[in-house]
Amino acid sequence: MAENTIRKIKWFFPWQDEQEEAWLMSMSKKGWHLASVGLPCTYRFRAGEPRDYVYRLDYQTFPNKDKQEYQQLFRDAGWDYIGEMSAWQYFRKEVKEAEPLEIFTDVESKIAKYKRILAFLWFFWVILIVIFPVKGISIDNPYPWWGAIQVFTLIIWLFFTYNIIRLTLRIRQLKKL
Amino acid sequence: MLHDDTNKYLPLTESTCYIMLTLIEPLHGYAVMKKVEEISKGTVKVGPGTLYGAFTLLEKEGLIIKVKEENRRKSYVLTPKGKNVLMNQIKRLEIMTQNGLSVIDML
Repeated sequence: MAENTIRKIKWFFPWQDEQEEAWLMSMSKKGWHLASVGLPCTYRFRAGEPRDYVYRLDYQTFPNKDKQEYQQLFRDAGWDYIGEMSAWQYFRKEVKEAEPLEIFTDVESKIAKYKRILAFLWFFWVILIVIFPVKGISIDNPYPWWGAIQVFTLIIWLFFTYNIIRLTLRIRQLKKL
Repeated sequence: MLHDDTNKYLPLTESTCYIMLTLIEPLHGYAVMKKVEEISKGTVKVGPGTLYGAFTLLEKEGLIIKVKEENRRKSYVLTPKGKNVLMNQIKRLEIMTQNGLSVIDML
C-alpha cells in the first residue's frame, strides 16, 4: 500500500488553476493518479497504468447538504469527485471521444469562479486591516514580540494584496475573450 | 416595455437563457444539461460547474425555486419573477432575430 502511493506538497496561486489541472493530467499520463487531496496543499497519488485523465478544479464553499447535490450533479455528468482542499473541488474524468471535458462551458461562469475566490480574498484583506496592530510602531513599545507580529501581519496582508491584483488581472484577461 | 426591475438581469448569457427555458417544468440538474443540448440542437452544452453556478445565482435572485429533492437530486422550476425575466429576454431576442432576418439575403 505504502510503496505504490506518493505524497506531494505543492502550492499554486488561484490564477494558476489551469496549470495545476494540466500538471495533474501529466501525472496521470505517467501513471500517478490523484487519490486524495488535503491540507496543507497535500496531494496523494496512487500508482497505476498510465491513463488519459483530465482534471478540473472548481472553487465552492457550501453547507454539507448542498455539497451532496453538487457532487451528484457532477457524478451524473460523468465526473469523479476526488476531494476538497481549502474550497478547491477536484474532479476527474477519463478522456473519451464525444465526452465533454469542461466543467465550465462559458467565459462568464469561469469569471464567476474567480470572483468567488476574489470575494474570499477581499474579506480577509479587510479583516487584516481591521485587526492590524497599529499601536506601538515606535521601538519603545512594551513587548519585544510586537514588532514581529506587525511584520508578520504586514507580510500576510501584502500576500493577499498580490493575490487580489493577479486574480483581478486574470478576470480582466478573460473578459477580453 | 422593458422598464421594470427585471431589466438588471438582461441580457442573460446564452447558457442561462437555455437553462431557464428548460425550467418551464421542474427538472433536476442532469436533466437540464441533457435538455439544453437537445433543444439547442447541440449548439449549447452546459457543464456541471456552469450549471451549478447558474442554479445558485438564479435561486438566490428568486428566479427559480427548489420544488423537489430525491436521491440527492434537486429539481427547480421558474418563479413568476423568473418567467417575467425570461419573457423580456425573449422579446429582446425576437427584435434581434427580426433584424437578422431583414438583412439575411444581403449576407
